[in-house]
Amino acid sequence: MRKKTLWLSLALLISSMALIAAGCGGSDDNASGTTTGAGGTEAAKQVITVNWGTEPPSLDPGLATDVTSSNILLNIMDPLVKLDKDLKPQPSAAESFETSADGKTVTFVLKDGLKWTNGDPVTANDFEYSWKRTISPELGADYAYQFYGIVGAQEYNSCDPKKDQCAALADKVGVKAVDDKTLEVKLTNPQPWFTQQVAHHSFLAVNKKAVDQFGEKWTEAANIVTNGPFKLAKWEHNSAIDIVKNPDWRDAASVKLTRVNGRLIADGLTAVQAFEAGEIDVLQGGLPTDEMSRLKELPTYQQYPGLGTYYEGFNVKNVPDVKQRRAMSLAINRRSIIDNIAQADQLPATGFTPKGMPGFDVINPNSPWMPEEGDIEQAKQLMSEVANPVKDLTFYVNDSPGHREIAVAIQSAWKQELGISTTIKQQEFQQYLEFLGPPPNKDVDVYRLGWIGDFVDAINFLDLWTCKSGNNNTNYCNPKYDEVIEKAKLTEDNDARYKLYAEAEDIMFGENGDMPTIPIYFYTYTALERENVKDSYETNLLDQVDLTKVVVTE
Amino acid sequence: MLKFIVRRVFWTIPVLLVVIFLTFMMMRQIEGSPFRHSERAVPPAVLQNLERKFNLDKPWYLQYAYYVKGVFTLDLGPSLVLRGQDVNDIVKTHFPKSIELGLYAFLFAIFVGVPLGVAAALRHNTAVDYSAMFFSNVFHAVPSFLIATLMIYFIALKAGALPTSGWTTWQHKIMPSIALGFGPMALFARLVRGTMLETLQQDYVRTARAKGLRYRRVVGLHVLRNSLIPVITAAGPLLGYIITGSFVIELIFNIPGIGGYYVTAVSARDYSVVMGLTVLLSGLVIIANLVVDILYGLLDPRTRDARI
Amino acid sequence: MAVSPTDVREEGIAVEPGAAPSSGVPIRQTNLWKDAWRRYIRNRAAVIAGVGFLLILLYCLLAPILSPYDPTFVDYSIAKQDPSLHHLFGTDKFGRDLFERTALGGRVSILIGFGATLAILAIGVVYGAISGFVGGRLDNGLMRFLDALYGLPYLPFAIITLAIIGRTNMWTMMIALSIASWFTTARIVRGQVISLKENDYVRAAKAVGARWYRILFRHLLPNTLGVLIIAIFLELPAVILGEAFLSFIGLGISPPDPSWGAMAQEGRGTYRTHPIEIVVPSVAIASLVMCANFIADGLRDALDPRSRKN
Repeated sequence: MRKKTLWLSLALLISSMALIAAGCGGSDDNASGTTTGAGGTEAAKQVITVNWGTEPPSLDPGLATDVTSSNILLNIMDPLVKLDKDLKPQPSAAESFETSADGKTVTFVLKDGLKWTNGDPVTANDFEYSWKRTISPELGADYAYQFYGIVGAQEYNSCDPKKDQCAALADKVGVKAVDDKTLEVKLTNPQPWFTQQVAHHSFLAVNKKAVDQFGEKWTEAANIVTNGPFKLAKWEHNSAIDIVKNPDWRDAASVKLTRVNGRLIADGLTAVQAFEAGEIDVLQGGLPTDEMSRLKELPTYQQYPGLGTYYEGFNVKNVPDVKQRRAMSLAINRRSIIDNIAQADQLPATGFTPKGMPGFDVINPNSPWMPEEGDIEQAKQLMSEVANPVKDLTFYVNDSPGHREIAVAIQSAWKQELGISTTIKQQEFQQYLEFLGPPPNKDVDVYRLGWIGDFVDAINFLDLWTCKSGNNNTNYCNPKYDEVIEKAKLTEDNDARYKLYAEAEDIMFGENGDMPTIPIYFYTYTALERENVKDSYETNLLDQVDLTKVVVTE
Repeated sequence: MLKFIVRRVFWTIPVLLVVIFLTFMMMRQIEGSPFRHSERAVPPAVLQNLERKFNLDKPWYLQYAYYVKGVFTLDLGPSLVLRGQDVNDIVKTHFPKSIELGLYAFLFAIFVGVPLGVAAALRHNTAVDYSAMFFSNVFHAVPSFLIATLMIYFIALKAGALPTSGWTTWQHKIMPSIALGFGPMALFARLVRGTMLETLQQDYVRTARAKGLRYRRVVGLHVLRNSLIPVITAAGPLLGYIITGSFVIELIFNIPGIGGYYVTAVSARDYSVVMGLTVLLSGLVIIANLVVDILYGLLDPRTRDARI
Repeated sequence: MAVSPTDVREEGIAVEPGAAPSSGVPIRQTNLWKDAWRRYIRNRAAVIAGVGFLLILLYCLLAPILSPYDPTFVDYSIAKQDPSLHHLFGTDKFGRDLFERTALGGRVSILIGFGATLAILAIGVVYGAISGFVGGRLDNGLMRFLDALYGLPYLPFAIITLAIIGRTNMWTMMIALSIASWFTTARIVRGQVISLKENDYVRAAKAVGARWYRILFRHLLPNTLGVLIIAIFLELPAVILGEAFLSFIGLGISPPDPSWGAMAQEGRGTYRTHPIEIVVPSVAIASLVMCANFIADGLRDALDPRSRKN
């Protein structure tokens, strides 16, 4: 609420100044402009051109899986909650939300005056319909599992239309529109992060009429019905996605941009050229590493912390001695990797949960096995204590630029300092993912991967290393770790939960840690932003931008 | 003649089937799933739903049968990755741009390459000849990505004369077309020069000149016309050349065409899109060959006999 | 000899003006090769190209042996240097000597070039020889099939092949580049075999009862040698450019062994600040392709004297 009053007063200030300026300047009111919250002068033409990156595979909230669609969807649709700067969920389309005493029921109450672009009101039924649609086996949504925390969702998603009574299962899913304004969600167990998770684009509402009328084609610019601050104006596949301000949105007065022209340039170098030729104003993400040293010097360069961790994983069955794993971590100079190869001022990892995650200061184990510049002495010492060292390793990486260089740097450190020789093998990404598992591949001794959070709770990262996790390719299985994670999942109180997370991190990376992986660095997001939008164009930890806050200055 | 055409048409069908079969089998050999887009593992239930949705749970011969039926009813199926888009949609939005690019490149090649070749032949063994041949040999050999990269650097970034990428206004289309057209241009110049030198020595040209026809007229009427034949014959195989070149050029200039998208589709394991585009490109070449051969048959009865 | 339309097209694109397969091959072979050599030597451009080609081969062979630098050693402190006496072509973004790496890349590119070319010729010769030699219905079928495939773009098939194999190395690159590129060669060989089949000495051999394999291997295939040698130098540039294209769109052979295409692709990333990294491999590709083109021209004039009178 405080935020709203701030905006209101700002708006008042701006309009009064505009009046004064208009009074003084007479005819020439365009050029004089008005002052924005950011301190610059608001430009008359509030139009920017951005590069969205790759073509989004889908603009259907249920089907979208990538950053581009997420970015666009969260600006053309109205999520129930939005995350603020501290990643706390704030009501957006919802007026309020409330979790029951037992933590298993969450109730959202919608704001008044929410409207679809076809004029219909947005109701709680729309959300019930959309969520169940995404869960339904017929849609085949990748992100259906985001809903597995809801009662009956997993059962419904796993039903086979040929054998089971899917309709009955659909009715049992714990999402219910109590009335037009109230959405009630029943969870399988208390999930303190659920309200944060709802900020994800897969929890947006879709318009049933449009879906029914146009089927799979409802996301095309001519058919789509949305309910957010912007409307989809044009979608030229693989070429451009333009959005325009939606004047009927509930808070349209606060939206400054009238149009955002979006290019779809996947190749980083091509995008940088387009930026430097003045064809685009904002280039978010995908800056080519080869150009980093030059781009970092530009006044238009921006970088944001990201919620992601780059790591090397062990197959702990093939490298069984924990001392060797620790020694291998100690031998790595993270600072040099970041400065010479990754080059985007990433943060050297000190654990698996990345900086920026709520509770990071408590959770972070400050692992003694991951000093920033390595510790060769200790590494050698530890290595000499290993009873049966494995001196010949196969190191798998995928073949996108950068990964191999990092692997080579690590390879030479292991070779020179520890006498471990490694063979680097590269695979194409899709093949690589299938190759790694699960189940973990026997041929792999060490592999590289990254993990980027899709909601803001450390569970999103720590759940990876439980015995049954579908993303655990290390063979690491520590019942004590699983126990702590299970306990954390049931703990509603943030501080108590963070302490449990800290315990889990400690089991992996602490003084007596198991070291199933070697985290290398925490991601950063890089961008080029023209100076007239630089102040207001902000990317959050999930690499999403809120275009309602962007203002073009003179 | 009719027999020749019928036979020729008849033979394209098994070839098309073989191409579809080969592509289909090859795609099945590629490891990796179209349903996995990131590090995140996909739960088994979700995977099952997807496989069911796209008929991937059926045995391969059924899938193949569905696909062949689809191709002959001109329905190339849905994309596995771009949800909500059919391969037909992708072809509709992307293919015209590739065609346009190829066409402009071809026009550039003809309108620059042919005059260059003619000039070189008419000024045989002079500085004009040597420099024309030097340039065409160089441009025939320099990879188009270097030409494209240099053009972007000097024309778009340094001079700011043209946009760096995209395919919307005519300004966007100049650089890619020229970059792609340089190779064929050089080829045409060499071809025209070669055949022209040969025709200039033919008896009928000498006769025509002896009859008192003006040199210019002889060149214009007889020699040039005859020298253009190899250009037309080269046009068929050039289709393949231009398709190949478009892969690189579309990538560099971010042109939403078939070539640029093809690589993306292969790495995303979008089976139906890869198959659709391969079948489409192959079908195009096969039909182009068919048309060229039939035209030959019509124009030159000798060849018709020779091939039966 | 009737000229089939297909032959006309080959003249257009591949064999260039008027290279109709010669039917009157002189009987004394030694003279043919001697004559060819003499004719080749008289062609100044072809000689220069030949010398250039040999120099490139020598450079690729010797530079890595003589160079004092380790081609894979990474040293960021000397990265992106301009050409100097120590580093004739400068260094790349990892501080590796470009003079040496270009030579190494040349080894890979040229090996891939020759490997794929030979594979193409092998497939083409087998297909063409069977078709031309057996003749009749089989020939008809095989040729109609080839007519339809002719001109098929090799790139899509090469890309799928590389995706199947997963990791690209020299051998997989050769397979990918030859898998859909042999159609032209098969046609040339077939045309050659057919025209030779009608020759007097083949008929004579048949008349004295020579077995088919003797005729094929002793009389027919050796006489297509000239055409095949020309074909090598016609195919080589296409294959080398093909490798460069595939590398450039990110499907090249995996580091650390560079190829010219892979180097150009790497160099594209830094072309703004350090253009030599893309220029050197591209110019290397261009010089090799140009030499091969001129050699092919010269060889054609030398081995097939009737093709060019000017």
